[in-house]
Amino acid sequence: MNIDKNENAIVIIGSGAGGGQMAYQLTKEGIPCVCLEAGPFLKPEDYSNDEWSAFLQMAWLDARGTSGSWRVNKDFPGLPTWLVKAVGGTTTHWAGATPRFLDYEFKTRTTYGDVEGASLLDWPISLKDMEPYYDKAEKAIGSTHRHGRPALPANNNYKVFANGAERVGYKYYATGPYGTNAEPYDGRPGSIQDGFNFQGDKNSSKWSTAVSEIPKALKTGLLDLRPQSHVVQITHNKSGLVDAVIYVDANGDIQRQAAKVICVAGNSIESPRLLLNSASNMFPGGLANSSDQVGRNYMRHMTGSVYARFEKEVNFYRGETMAGFIGDEVINDPSRGFVGGYYMETLALGPAFLSSFLDPGAWGADFAKMMDGYSNIAGMWLVGEDMPQATNRVTLSDSIKDQYGMPAPNVHFDDHPNDIAMRNYAYEKAEALYNSVGAVQIFRTPPYPSTHNLGTNRMSARPEDGVVNKWGQTHDIKNLFVSDGSIMTTGAAANPTLTITALAIRQGEYLVSELKKGNL
Amino acid sequence: MKFTRRNFLLGTASSTALIKMWAALNVAEAKIVAGSSNKERKLLDKMVRTLYPHNTFPNGPYDRTTEDVINKGNADAGKMLMMRDGLRDLEKNSFGDLSFNEATKYLKSIEGSPFFNHVRGTSVVTLYNDKEVWDVLGYEGASFDKGGYVNRGFNDLDWLPEPRIEEHPDHANFFVATQNKLAAKQTNANQ
Ligand SMILES: Cc1cc2nc3c(=O)[nH]c(=O)nc-3n(C[C@H](O)[C@H](O)[C@H](O)COP(=O)(O)OP(=O)(O)OC[C@H]3O[C@@H](n4cnc5c(N)ncnc54)[C@H](O)[C@@H]3O)c2cc1C
Repeated sequence: MNIDKNENAIVIIGSGAGGGQMAYQLTKEGIPCVCLEAGPFLKPEDYSNDEWSAFLQMAWLDARGTSGSWRVNKDFPGLPTWLVKAVGGTTTHWAGATPRFLDYEFKTRTTYGDVEGASLLDWPISLKDMEPYYDKAEKAIGSTHRHGRPALPANNNYKVFANGAERVGYKYYATGPYGTNAEPYDGRPGSIQDGFNFQGDKNSSKWSTAVSEIPKALKTGLLDLRPQSHVVQITHNKSGLVDAVIYVDANGDIQRQAAKVICVAGNSIESPRLLLNSASNMFPGGLANSSDQVGRNYMRHMTGSVYARFEKEVNFYRGETMAGFIGDEVINDPSRGFVGGYYMETLALGPAFLSSFLDPGAWGADFAKMMDGYSNIAGMWLVGEDMPQATNRVTLSDSIKDQYGMPAPNVHFDDHPNDIAMRNYAYEKAEALYNSVGAVQIFRTPPYPSTHNLGTNRMSARPEDGVVNKWGQTHDIKNLFVSDGSIMTTGAAANPTLTITALAIRQGEYLVSELKKGNL
Repeated sequence: MKFTRRNFLLGTASSTALIKMWAALNVAEAKIVAGSSNKERKLLDKMVRTLYPHNTFPNGPYDRTTEDVINKGNADAGKMLMMRDGLRDLEKNSFGDLSFNEATKYLKSIEGSPFFNHVRGTSVVTLYNDKEVWDVLGYEGASFDKGGYVNRGFNDLDWLPEPRIEEHPDHANFFVATQNKLAAKQTNANQ
């Protein structure tokens, strides 16, 4: 459908986990909307099963700055994140891990108490509020092990992982919940275990908004999807309500789309950046920023990986990349030396990525020995809750501009002592697991550019503590919503996409009812 | 700055700034190619092999990697000058005559320099992205056209028992029960 640029439309910025879901939630209820997406609409047949070419095909590579003591700043300056610029956003490259948050993870300030240097805050909603939406999100994604969806089979990497888990006494391991079909579901086929997730799934067994919600929304005839449309500013009227977006289209022409409601879903880096780049006389600190919280409390999860070489073959690159979970460490037990918990999840990389990420900057005989044993390597990712800190922050760079002449985002991050303690503890546990099944060489891999980006427009009960209310509606401007991972108050141990999806479904329902009531 | 996989892998902020400054000198017209002579190529080849020593790799991947180091190292004037100076230093230190251990030691001493970063950063990407290397390492790569690995060994590991794939029967309970237990422990400790 074509919506006139002068019509006051419902405008969604970004088509990833949050934005793509919003587009479907609205159009399926009969509400037309415009979705502006910076990237192209790539189809499964366009995806490349080659690590570097897939990365260069759709990763977000616009200019960015980094600062802070995190190792990413040293290893990958200018590439703080691994995010996707394409219809479907980062769900095209995501793996598929879909655990839920736990009850206490919605109230960490209460549970953990005052953690020095951390800006912890309880969510304005609870697990109970979220449960019905988690159900809907799991059904939308088709998570294995849930609602009758069968488990994925054990691949080789999982066999090493699960046997190690059993030997060190872990109990809560399984091949899911995972957002890839083991058997046909929702019009998409079962997995053929082709080994490519992070590059986009050519077989479409993996859920993404590019193969699920966006096509469904287009089918309603009510979605005006405009790929290669990069929003550079949101404008507002005299009464302080947002009224339009300015964007650069595929031809490089500058366009204006009038708006009645705007949902910002550009992810945790671009959403705060856009709000800051939309500063005006009325809102000198940027839109929705009376609390000065826009861009702050940036979280990226405590992460790390452990790769272990064995005497016999593993061939871990075959099969689903991350279909293996251990939940035993997802507890809050401060006697371990840190608050919060972490998951262990299987992870496999090809030689191209493994060599670059195993130990960035490494070279020499030990490194070569590890690579020589590529067929015998097993690997896992460690992902846990990190502490929000007011100083971990997305700001506008004063020196770097993007290709449109707009100030680029700078991503500042320092690990909190709690993150470091958790990482070291998790490394030891992962090593013990692999040693129990006979590892002969082990590498502790530092964090990759951030794949989980959260918290920069956080949800809060009180307007002074955050940017959006419990519906994702900005405290300051009632027709401006944020619909992506940036609204997370805290990050929990769980991978975020199930929660982003559940929050978007919940926000969609609210928005539909507000529109129907004539409140917006 | 235009992003390529190479310049984020090897670029430190300072080296990028230096390269930009050199590029501004605009001496690219001079038609000097650093690393073009046989002697220089040999030095670079040895450097690549010392950085990433694999007895099992044939010459092809090392040749192609060295070639790439030379090409990308002459992409602009700044890079060319950086390469020229780096090569002069290798020569001055008789890098060509050093044993593997001595060569490693020497490279350790120049680690972090723009020249080192260029050669290492280019090598790690190009060498391990070489299809001949994938063959040697046993990586089969793309499989979609062959129907994936579902019937081609995705689960053929047989030196460990077949593990459970379903969640533990206690799973749903675990998180709630453990957390309640831990919370109670906490409360007792505080009393
Ligand atoms: C390799 C990898 C593996 C992952 N695995 C998992 C996993 O197993 N489980 C999990 O839960 N999560 C995983 N993730 C994370 C997951 O992909 C993200 O959390 C999720 O996609 C974030 O959703 P979002 O809506 O916040 O942003 P995104 O999905 O990034 O969507 C943002 C969209 O907005 C567009 N955009 C940005 N700025 C503008 C603008 N100015 N104008 C127009 N459009 C704009 C972008 O191009 C993009 O399409 C993984 C990520 C990666 C990279």
